[in-house]
Amino acid sequence: MRASSGDQPGGAGAGPPPVGGEALAFDAVSHWYGPRRVLSSVTLRVARGETVALLGPNGAGKSTMISLMLGLFACRTGTIRVLGTGPRQAVKAGRVGAMLQTGSGSGLPPGVRVGSLLDLVEGLHRRPADHHLVVERSGIGPLLDRRTDRLSGGQAQRVRFAMAIAGNPELLFLDEPTSAMDVTAQREFWAMIQSFSDEGRTTFFATHHLREADRVADRVIVLCGGAVVADGAGATLKAAAGARRISLHVHPGDEAVLDSLEGVTDVALTGAVATIDSLDPDATVRDLVVHNVRFCNLEVHGADLERAFFQLTGGDAPPGGDQDR
Amino acid sequence: MSALLHFGRFEMLRLIRSWKFLLITVGFPVTFYMLFLGDRRSGEVVAAGSVTWREYLMVAMCSFGCLVAGLTAGGGRLAAERVGGWARQLRVTPLPTWSYVMVKTATSMLVMLPVIVLVEVVSAGFGDVRLAAGRWIELTLVMWVTGLPFAELGVLIGFVAGVETAFPVITALMFVLGYFGGLFNPVSAMPSPLRTAAHLLPSFHGAAAGLSVVNGRPAGLSDWLTLAGYAVGLSALVAWRHRTEEMKGLA
Repeated sequence: MRASSGDQPGGAGAGPPPVGGEALAFDAVSHWYGPRRVLSSVTLRVARGETVALLGPNGAGKSTMISLMLGLFACRTGTIRVLGTGPRQAVKAGRVGAMLQTGSGSGLPPGVRVGSLLDLVEGLHRRPADHHLVVERSGIGPLLDRRTDRLSGGQAQRVRFAMAIAGNPELLFLDEPTSAMDVTAQREFWAMIQSFSDEGRTTFFATHHLREADRVADRVIVLCGGAVVADGAGATLKAAAGARRISLHVHPGDEAVLDSLEGVTDVALTGAVATIDSLDPDATVRDLVVHNVRFCNLEVHGADLERAFFQLTGGDAPPGGDQDR
Repeated sequence: MSALLHFGRFEMLRLIRSWKFLLITVGFPVTFYMLFLGDRRSGEVVAAGSVTWREYLMVAMCSFGCLVAGLTAGGGRLAAERVGGWARQLRVTPLPTWSYVMVKTATSMLVMLPVIVLVEVVSAGFGDVRLAAGRWIELTLVMWVTGLPFAELGVLIGFVAGVETAFPVITALMFVLGYFGGLFNPVSAMPSPLRTAAHLLPSFHGAAAGLSVVNGRPAGLSDWLTLAGYAVGLSALVAWRHRTEEMKGLA
């Protein structure tokens, strides 16, 4: 980490931002598009330095929340504070960076070199980050002379990341940032984000990739139908979803008792293999023995976040259970 | 302020880099001047104050050039930037919101200057139009100012239309404002209902202001008032559209 104090303003990206305090505060925020309610009374706090994933299915209200936090439009009811001020003020003071969803386009203006684009964004900020640092971090060095309309999807994403951090933001918003990336590009991208948040900056990203949320974020907020249905560390959420899973081979004729064992919430049988969901796997296993159930190959799994997610959002878990999307 | 200047410079560089666009926009009205000049005897008096066809056509093509420049520089490019997400990305930078519209309008206006000057040069060279030096400068400035409603109209189209609809809308407006505003044919040669209708169009009043200069008179008050009305009305529409898009989160 670089020295933080004594830097001249504008030099070296001015070091890490102050630690402590609130980065984001939502108080009873609701929003409608016409008659359709997209957020219902969302209240949450994000402390400075946290890396938070906003997880939810399409249409859950993730992009709306990010747009509100950027002050792109105002919420109908409730209050939002960003870095201690209004969302718009935080953006206009250059304290916030963002990678938004771009729909069909690249989010970049056509017909300019990447270098001029970066110069522009630096020029828009009063205290931009160090140019070389931004180029190095985002890996756009080889692209600086390239025209923006001649970039691949992953390259355009890098450029947009560079633009997002060029203002040396204290808080970074990413709206489904890896949707256009292949697996390698995703890994590289999250490594870039990691080095960014290691400096004590706050990162808030929306995703519907469960693994991404689980691996990258300190904290996962699950949004469904415009309401926060869960909020905590990935592991906490898995537990909150109630879910531990026991699988075992059960002796024919002994299946009937499984339902009544302690802690069991669900039993699925596939031939001789029983899959048991339990809130208290220790008690369930003890009860198996007490009831003289004949079994072998017993395994206890922590339910993965995907299951937790579907349980929390009230959807059906997809077959296979452990895919990324 | 410095953010605005940076953005202005950036847009200017982008414009210069799209030289094909500039070449066509600047070359279009001059080519039309040469083509239309032979339509009538160039010395034929076609408008009040003994304005000859070659003079009329010069003013008309200045106005038409501004119309084309305003609609294409604003409309199509702006629509593409909105749909492509760049306009939105800019809104999450410290660039003041209004400066996007302002710089876009200013850029369109800037394209109009070389258009006007080139039409004037060709009119003097090929059309034998003779004016006093001060008159040339006055004409340039007047034609330039009358281009403002066209620049705003272009920006408005950019906000309202999608990428696919912007082009046909621009083409239609170029025809309607050009033809019915008397830019291809003197209004005096039109049937009377069309002559009345022409008085409602900014293209007609822009050309009328220019013709006054050629005649050595100050442009009429009604011309300036109509143009100012268009300028104010269109900027109000742009502001309103900008605002509603913001509320929907589309801008």
